[in-house]
Amino acid sequence: MIGLNSVGVLVPSLVGFAFILPLLGKLIKNVKFFHIYAALASLWAAILATYNAYLVFTAGTQVYPFGGWPPPLGIAYELDKLNALLGMVTALVMLAITIYSAWYLKDYEGVAYYYTLLLGLEVGLIGCLYTGDAFNLFVMLEVLSISAYALVGFYRSKPEAVEAAIKYGMFGAVATTLYFVGLVFIYATFGTLNMADLAFKLTFYVYYPVPNPFSGTFFGNPYVASAVALALALWAFTYKSAAFPNHFWLPDAHPEAPTPVSAALSGLVVNVGVYAIVRFLYTIFGPSAFVVQLRDAVLIALLVLGIASGLIGALMMVVQEDIKRLLAYSTISHIGLVLVGVAIGTSSTLNQNSLAYVLGLAGGIYHMVNHTLGKALLFLVSGILIALAGGSRKLDDIGGVGRRYPLVSLALFLGVFQLLGVPPFGGFFSKLLIYSAYMEAGMPYVSLMVILISAISLLGYVKLIYASVFKVGSPKVEQTTKVSLPTAIVLALGIACLVTGLATTYITSMMFDVVGSFATPQGVYDYWQSFFNTLLNLASGVMR
Amino acid sequence: MRFLKVRNMDINGFLFVFMLSTIMLNLVISLYGVFARPSLIKKIIALTILSDSGNVLAIAVGFRDWPSGWSPSTPPVLNVTSPKASDVVSFARVAVDPLPQALVLTAVVIGLAVMLFLVFLTLQIYRLYGTTDVRKVAKLKG
Repeated sequence: MIGLNSVGVLVPSLVGFAFILPLLGKLIKNVKFFHIYAALASLWAAILATYNAYLVFTAGTQVYPFGGWPPPLGIAYELDKLNALLGMVTALVMLAITIYSAWYLKDYEGVAYYYTLLLGLEVGLIGCLYTGDAFNLFVMLEVLSISAYALVGFYRSKPEAVEAAIKYGMFGAVATTLYFVGLVFIYATFGTLNMADLAFKLTFYVYYPVPNPFSGTFFGNPYVASAVALALALWAFTYKSAAFPNHFWLPDAHPEAPTPVSAALSGLVVNVGVYAIVRFLYTIFGPSAFVVQLRDAVLIALLVLGIASGLIGALMMVVQEDIKRLLAYSTISHIGLVLVGVAIGTSSTLNQNSLAYVLGLAGGIYHMVNHTLGKALLFLVSGILIALAGGSRKLDDIGGVGRRYPLVSLALFLGVFQLLGVPPFGGFFSKLLIYSAYMEAGMPYVSLMVILISAISLLGYVKLIYASVFKVGSPKVEQTTKVSLPTAIVLALGIACLVTGLATTYITSMMFDVVGSFATPQGVYDYWQSFFNTLLNLASGVMR
Repeated sequence: MRFLKVRNMDINGFLFVFMLSTIMLNLVISLYGVFARPSLIKKIIALTILSDSGNVLAIAVGFRDWPSGWSPSTPPVLNVTSPKASDVVSFARVAVDPLPQALVLTAVVIGLAVMLFLVFLTLQIYRLYGTTDVRKVAKLKG
C-alpha cells in the first residue's frame, strides 16, 4: 500500500525536478536542454495527475499517508473527485504553459531559475489541491506563494514588476500568517489538523464534545475558535483568490509577470483560493457541522463579495488600455462569478431546495474549470500579440495585428466566447447553471446580477477583439517572429474550451458527481470513511 | 482530567491570561504596522513581529495544564520502559504537546524564506526608486 503510489509520488518528484534545476544551470549552458527538461517534468506531472483523476473517478477516494504514519498523526493526501479533477486541469494547463514558455523565453539566459520557479509553482498548486491536512495546506500555500511572488518580480530591473511583487508578497505573507494563527485556534480546540478528522469532529461535536486542555476558557470555546479560525482562513483564501476587497494586488501583479506566468497566475493560482474556500465551507465546516449560523453568515458575505468583485472586475475591464491588465480585471470578474456559484449552500437553501444547492456548486466548479481554460488561452494569445506588435502591451499599439494571423485570431475568439458565455461554449453552460441555481433558490436578483456582470464584461471583450483583430492601424509586425509553436498551443486550448461546451451533458453530470463527492452528507461520509480505513489499516500494521 | 481554569485566578493563571493578551495585542499592533506604516523596512519588521506572535501562540497552545503551579508541564518523553495505561494517562496530562512545536519549526523556516525574499525585493526597490517609502514609490510609478 505504501509502495510507489501515483498520488504520493507526484508532488515530491516534482519538488526534486524543480530544485535540482539551479544546480543543473551551473553545469549545463545549453538553453534548449532546460526547455525540454521542464516540458518533460510537466508532462510527467500531467500524466500522473490525469491517472490520479482516473483512479479517483473509477475507484473512489484515494488516501496516501506520507511515511506510513496513520493520518491524524502524519500528513496524508486525500483525493476526492473535486481535487482530483482540479489537479488534472491544473497539471494539463501547466503543461501547455511550460511548452509555451519555451517559445516565450527562447533567447533568455537565466532560464534555469525561471523553470525552478515555474515548477515550484506547479508543486504548490498541486500540493494545495491534493493535501488532506490543513497545516500542509499552509505549507503548500507558502510554496505556491513564494514561487508566485518571485515570478511576478521576475524582471527584477523593471520598477513596476518589483513594486507589484512586493505589494503582492507583503500582504500575501500577512494573509498566510493569519491562516496559521487560525490553524492554531483550530488545533487548540479540536486537537487535530487533518481535514477529514476535523470534518468528523465538527459534525459530531454536539454529541461528543472533544475534551481539550482549554475547555472553559476563551480558547476552549468551539464557537469562538471556529469563528476566529474561519474568519482568518477565509481572509487568506479570498486574498489568494483576489475577491473584492482583496483584489488590489491582482491588476498590478498579473500583468507584470512574464506572459506564461500571467496565464498560470490568472488561470490556476486564484483557483486554489476558491478550492480552499470550498473545502473549508463544504467539507470541514460542512452543512452538517455545528456552526450553522456562522456558516450561513460567511456564505452570505461571500455571495456579496462575489457579486461585488464580479461587477468591479467587469466595470474596470472596460476602461483598461493595457491588454494584460484588461485580462487581469476579467479574472477578478470571473472569480466573483465562481464565488457567487459556490456561495449557495446556506442552510435554508439546503433544507428547502437541494436542487439549487447542487446546481450552484456544480456551476461554480464548472465555471472555475471553464475560466481556467479560457483565461490561460487569452493570456497566451496576448503574449503572441504583444510579441508581434513589437513588445507593447497597449491595446492601441496592437492595432489589429491578429488579422494577419488568422489562427491566433481564431484562438482569441474561442477564448473570448468561452469567457463571455456564448452558447456552444462551456462558459455559457456554467453561467446558466449558476443562474438557474439562484432562480431555483428563490433569489432572482442574484441571477440578474450574473447576467448583468456578463453584459458589462461584454464591452471589455469587444474592446479586446476590436483592438487585436479588427482595428485598422499600422502595427510594427516583426516578420522574424515565428509563432507556430504558441499558435498550436493556443489552438489546443481553444479546442479544449469548445469541448467543455460541446460535451456539456457529460461534463455537467460529471460536475454533479463531483459535488456529490464533497458537499453532500454521503460525500463527506465517504471522505471520513477513506480516512478511517487508512487509519485502521496502518494502525493494525503497527499493532502486529 | 483537570483542565485549565482561568477563573481560579492564582498567579500562574494571571500570567497565562497576561501572556495571551500580550500575544493578541502584538498581533493587532503588527497588523497596524504592516498596513499603516509607509516604510517598507518597518512593514517587514511588523511582519516578523506578526509571524513570531503567531508562533508564540502556537507554542503556548501546546502546554498542558500550565497555570496550575503544582504540576508543571514536562517534556514529551515517556521515561517508563514498558508503560501501563495509567502511565500513559498521567503522561498525556502533563507532557507538552510536541506537535505545535513541529508546526512552529516549519512556519519559522517558511517565514525565513519569505522574509529574505521580501528584504531582497525591498533592496531592489531602493535601487530602482531610491526610496523605501511606499507613498513615494507609488508616486514615482506614476
